[in-house]
Amino acid sequence: MTRKFALMTCFIFGLVMFVQYFSNHPTAKLLNQSILEYWQIIFAFTLIVGIAGFIMNSVRELREGESKIYKLASLGGLILMPLLAMIWGIKADTPFTWIFENVQVPLQATVFSLLAFFVASASFRGFRARSIPAGILLASAIIILISRSSIPGFQFDFLTDFANWLRSNPAMAARRGILIGIGLGSVTTSLRVILGIERTWLGGK
Amino acid sequence: MKNLLPRHYVFLGLFVLTALVMSLNIKLDVEVSENTKRLYGFIDSLPENSYLIVSFDHEASSIPEIKPIATALLKHAFSKGHKLIGLSLFSEGTLIGYRLMSEIGREYDRKYGQDYVYLGFKPQYIAAILSMGESIPKTFPKDYLGNKYSDIPILSGIENYDDVSAVLSIADGSLTTHWIEYAGMRYNIAVVAGVAAAMVTTYDPYLEAGQMHSMIGGLRGAAEYEKMLGYDGGGARAMLAQTTAHLYVILMIIIGNVIYFRNRKKGIS
Amino acid sequence: MIDWGTIVAGILTLAVLTFLYRDNPLYKMAESILIGISIGYTLVIVWQTTLVDLLFDPLFGDSRLSLLIPLILGLLMFSRFLSKYSFLSKIPIAVMIGSGAGVAIPVMIEARTMKQISATVAPLVSSSGMPDISALVVLVGVISTLIYFYFSREHKGFIGRIANLGTYFLMIFFGATFGYTVMSRMSTLIGRMEFILTDFLHLTQ
Repeated sequence: MTRKFALMTCFIFGLVMFVQYFSNHPTAKLLNQSILEYWQIIFAFTLIVGIAGFIMNSVRELREGESKIYKLASLGGLILMPLLAMIWGIKADTPFTWIFENVQVPLQATVFSLLAFFVASASFRGFRARSIPAGILLASAIIILISRSSIPGFQFDFLTDFANWLRSNPAMAARRGILIGIGLGSVTTSLRVILGIERTWLGGK
Repeated sequence: MKNLLPRHYVFLGLFVLTALVMSLNIKLDVEVSENTKRLYGFIDSLPENSYLIVSFDHEASSIPEIKPIATALLKHAFSKGHKLIGLSLFSEGTLIGYRLMSEIGREYDRKYGQDYVYLGFKPQYIAAILSMGESIPKTFPKDYLGNKYSDIPILSGIENYDDVSAVLSIADGSLTTHWIEYAGMRYNIAVVAGVAAAMVTTYDPYLEAGQMHSMIGGLRGAAEYEKMLGYDGGGARAMLAQTTAHLYVILMIIIGNVIYFRNRKKGIS
Repeated sequence: MIDWGTIVAGILTLAVLTFLYRDNPLYKMAESILIGISIGYTLVIVWQTTLVDLLFDPLFGDSRLSLLIPLILGLLMFSRFLSKYSFLSKIPIAVMIGSGAGVAIPVMIEARTMKQISATVAPLVSSSGMPDISALVVLVGVISTLIYFYFSREHKGFIGRIANLGTYFLMIFFGATFGYTVMSRMSTLIGRMEFILTDFLHLTQ
């Protein structure tokens, strides 16, 4: 019964949002605005549910004694931020923003910067011209890298022009092909979802 | 030293080389690309007091790359006297965007609430973008500081995209795509962008099809924009290190391939 | 005056970089703190900017009773934690999926498919009436890439040859993307190095 109701809800909301796209009627606009508002609010709840799930898992693992100190650090950080926000607020120059700027930002940016090292390592260990397509990939990467470098005393006008042509024509064409494919695929999937043919999101059988 | 693997030497080489060239403090000249000129020309040619939505669509992780891009674009927009409406569709971009707008706004003596405003964050980017097309005050009833939309002077008369000249998306991922597809196509608003270099090729089809007016990408794009504005910022400072890192990666590719072909010749797989 | 923010950020940055040698407790601790802090940050921002601003304030402050609908739908998401009633969470999911599918169809057709096809075909003949070689390259690239991803027919004979050509276009695209990704990752590293050398250790200016 609930499955049918969920499928019906999906169909109605899908149809309404599809139809309103072509209408400028005030009622359609109002309906559109309301559904978009609901969508955002429900989405916020899904984030909260996700966070609640994380807390429950961490507490369970903590009880089972798995990586206790790290779980405590995670939960501590998770509790600390709302606590600071409740006491001092979230505007600029509060302890909440201090933690964000001096703990979260450097940590996150540094974790991300590790990728630079792994990219260099992968270039050395895995980027081999084993076949013609692999050789083309390699040549394309090197041309782009040189064209976006500024080496004193070297002018790469021809190479820069060629790299720009490569980017705007063959590379862009492949990306466009992928984009059109994704576009057509999205339309098909969306239709299947609205019409209840695609039901994997419901889970179960 | 016994425990060191080949990858550790590659890491060490990159670390030492980057640190060395950064200590040299040499600034390299960059040639300004057509794309950068187009974006510069777009912001430059807008009449004074034009409204621009500046969306900080990025995470904290990409701040070293995004900050110089955002700084250059904000400096230009503030210096031209445009009215800026800041917001973020990524929770992490929220505070970063507010800080940047406040700092650069102060530099140009622009007043919060009169010359610029920061609306903060809203989740579910597609819903937020579409919702703003119908009503910005309903999407953002309050600004980041908690002021009511109707009490903010700069926002009086701003109802939806019809009252705004363009959207400037500063992104490290694919969020600009949604600005192009949902705001640009449906509500017919011009979209320009400053994006992380890794995303440049993703946006090329939109750029070539005219769905996005123009964009700059990566630290190189920032350096080019800084050159047009006539100052040395984070982009220009990083060019020597960036070039060195590029050449290092190329060198790694070449060494790796030389070893591979030598081994193949010897019959070692 | 001691800049505690820089000291904390510096220590955390170095803790993350130790991962380059190998996984270790220092890195794990930094990673756990990052997970906790970033979830806590998201929770606060979503709570304040969405649930308070879009839901609680207008519902309880301005008595906009229509907002009871997304409130109830949002609360239904929590039924996931009650195995007996977890099916109820499918209803808010249906609203989001249906709405998303509904708005996606016209946008995907217009922005991702029609516009891209038109941009591929339109420049084939230049203003002088002569065929444009670059535009021809783009057309061939788009078609061959699409055929490469067309799996309803076996890639043999003519179709196989076109699909093979698509591989070369894709390799140029992947190579260009790799080049730009290297740029991006190196930028992040440079940013962190600048922080370590200039702000934290004061070794450079």
